[in-house]
Amino acid sequence: MAFFLFSLFFCALFYLHFSVAHRAWRQIRGRESAELDMGYVRMEDYFGQSFRTKLAGWMKTLPRATNSTAGLRVFDKGNERIFVAGGAQYPAGRKEREILVIEGDFSCGRDCEFEKELMVKGDCAIGQDTQLQALAVDGTLHVGEGARVRRWVDSVKQLTVGADAVVASRATSRTAIEFLPGAQALSLFAPEVYTEGRHEVELQIEVAPSVIVQLPHPDRTAVAANGYDPAKLFSMGGNTYLYDGDLHLTAPVHLRAAFVVRGDFSCPKESLLEADLKAHGAVTIGAASVVKGNIVAGGDIALKPNTYFQGLLHAGGAMRLSRGVRGLRDKLPVAAYAAGVVTMESNVVVNGKVASAQWVVAVSTPVAWLEGARGAAVRG
Amino acid sequence: MAVTLLIGISYVVIAFTVAFLLLYAVRHYLLGYSRLRIDQPKDSMELVGFYMPRVTVLIPMHNEERVAADVLQAIVDSDYDWEKLEVIPVNDRSTDKTREIVDGYAKRYPFIQPYHRTDGQGGKPAALVEACARATGDILVMFDADYVPGRAVIKMLVAPFADPEIGASMGRVVPHNIGDSLLSGLLSLERSAGYQGVQQSRFNLGFTAQFGGTVGAVRAAALESVGGWNPESLTEDTDLTFALLLSGWKTAYVNRAECYEEVPQSWSVRRRQLSRWVTGHTECLHNYWPDLMQSRFLTRWEKVDALFLLAMYWTAPVLVLGWVASLLLFFIPEAHQTPWLPLALAFLGYQLFANQATFLEIGVASMLDGTRIRSLLLPLNLLNFFANTGAICNALRKFYWNKLWGSGGDGWYKTHRTRGTSGGDGFFGGSGAGASVTARSARGLYHARAEGD
Repeated sequence: MAFFLFSLFFCALFYLHFSVAHRAWRQIRGRESAELDMGYVRMEDYFGQSFRTKLAGWMKTLPRATNSTAGLRVFDKGNERIFVAGGAQYPAGRKEREILVIEGDFSCGRDCEFEKELMVKGDCAIGQDTQLQALAVDGTLHVGEGARVRRWVDSVKQLTVGADAVVASRATSRTAIEFLPGAQALSLFAPEVYTEGRHEVELQIEVAPSVIVQLPHPDRTAVAANGYDPAKLFSMGGNTYLYDGDLHLTAPVHLRAAFVVRGDFSCPKESLLEADLKAHGAVTIGAASVVKGNIVAGGDIALKPNTYFQGLLHAGGAMRLSRGVRGLRDKLPVAAYAAGVVTMESNVVVNGKVASAQWVVAVSTPVAWLEGARGAAVRG
Repeated sequence: MAVTLLIGISYVVIAFTVAFLLLYAVRHYLLGYSRLRIDQPKDSMELVGFYMPRVTVLIPMHNEERVAADVLQAIVDSDYDWEKLEVIPVNDRSTDKTREIVDGYAKRYPFIQPYHRTDGQGGKPAALVEACARATGDILVMFDADYVPGRAVIKMLVAPFADPEIGASMGRVVPHNIGDSLLSGLLSLERSAGYQGVQQSRFNLGFTAQFGGTVGAVRAAALESVGGWNPESLTEDTDLTFALLLSGWKTAYVNRAECYEEVPQSWSVRRRQLSRWVTGHTECLHNYWPDLMQSRFLTRWEKVDALFLLAMYWTAPVLVLGWVASLLLFFIPEAHQTPWLPLALAFLGYQLFANQATFLEIGVASMLDGTRIRSLLLPLNLLNFFANTGAICNALRKFYWNKLWGSGGDGWYKTHRTRGTSGGDGFFGGSGAGASVTARSARGLYHARAEGD
């Protein structure tokens, strides 16, 4: 009897163990893996474009509410409503709980609050300390000082992110983005992204310096000099070289082949990097240098004043683009991305994207970043 | 005397089994745990579209009339700049209509330049060797003929090469036929764990990802520097991963470069596929481990990780040996008089906890993918586990037998395709088995991810 009960109990346990799985299998059977969007293409302004498309669809298909008037059309969208107006000026402190579509120009005073998305087909000016969900604008857009955008902003014409304003996700423009001191965003993308005071200092590259370290060095048996030890250099093949250790050059470098440094890398001012550079640690490029290749660092990347880069910057740590840094090249936009905070000093111009997994922040004067306080002010 | 010896040997075998498999269990747990803990996976997605070198797409084909048009159309529809794109469908002595399909596309799109092989050594590696000699791209991107890459996949696979240390990149393989059979459902779990879990986790931790030979890209200069593809290898992808690693090149993993594949639906097809992988992989272990251990380019932990990766198929026969030894101890009366309990407990402990480590990885991956219903299939994965154990042991037995006696090993075996057999026109025809994937593409993971970006 005991054996019979034990067997029954065991069978029940066994069945329970597999019954859930069997039920799950019956649900899955015959289905395809349709969870991926094969047509999806990663676009910087995906959110803005997607919202515009969805909005256009809603306005074609949704029924118009009975309280619509000549000046204001209202569409019912389930639990939400879409207000459509020709143009508007909101006074300070006004709160809006519905999706708002403005077919002309729009402005609002300070301390307004928009709980849902806002679409403006003309120009748009957002007042100080206003809080928004997301904002798509077909004209120019000025996000006022101290404004908070919980998600993204996208404009067709000039976008200005005011001082101390925060965009929690992407800021994109098809023309240009001016990023004023204290402003923060997760990502900036436009044909031209710049900080305050641009054009005050033009890029200046002096005459080639007299002492230059040529990398890779033609003679591996040469004596170590200017911070470079030829004995630490190994060829990986494919015109790529590996330097085993830190490399802190004391004379300007002319980098002619792809270079991987297993440690930190720094070069003094007026260096020329014509090939890609990777450092497992930090990278510091001296002032007025020209970077034609890509730079990838496991740690921080710092471009000193007036450095010009034509490729991609990818930092595993923080990134600092000092005053006068320019990022531009023919045909393709450039990109600068850091897993840590990206700090943009004044008069920085990047034709393309500046992005961070934490924050991109504009500063008007150098902060104590190099003294070890990087990011603290931003996160605070 | 003989019985005592047998008992002694059984103890040693069990002790070795427990120790060996526990090492792997720790690895599985660490990878699973780290995949969950690291909020910000290492990737190069922010550089996608900003790095656009000249690319050659290589598509090895052998009697692919059912799928050739799908993959070519997908490449044509990709968003990579056509001026920087060259596509070489490598028609390897097909006897069906593959040639006509490929030539038809070549007439319409000048960047498609087919290469028709009519003789020479058979198999994908040999075909790739010849095709690579014709390629003009800086980066070579590879897709198997039954794969259907999404629009941005080429850009995504190319982006990691902005890093000069990257010699190859690997995308994610996603089975589309998850509901066609229990096996394909279970294999989708396995793939999910392998890519979303293990590959991403290893890449996050600074180890090199494994190049899979399809949905992957390789730097032409790096490939040339290691002597190109190994035409003798049954797993030319694994071979290349380690050849690159020995020269200092790393392989990047791009989790979002997702591409559909058809996983085997029958156990016999799966067994043959696994057999090829086991043979090729173990061959790489024998070829590369001495050099890996002495490599100046690798850290100590990278060497340990590489060794774990190369020896992973050994876990199956070691486990079977442990089972046999424990059964022997159970049935030999004399063994019961000896203090075997600690070892038995250790073995039981391993069975209870460590053997579940791979299941943990599957669970982690299912959770990250948001496919929780599929993770309920986990108990049924025991079937897959036992089938895999048998197939791997058999493949290793053959491998070492051939190695010992110098007889020829397995040839290159092409995995059987079933797409198109249901009478439809495939992915882009609108009525085939895979057509629903495009039809239902408006919703799904990508949108969910993008909104939460």
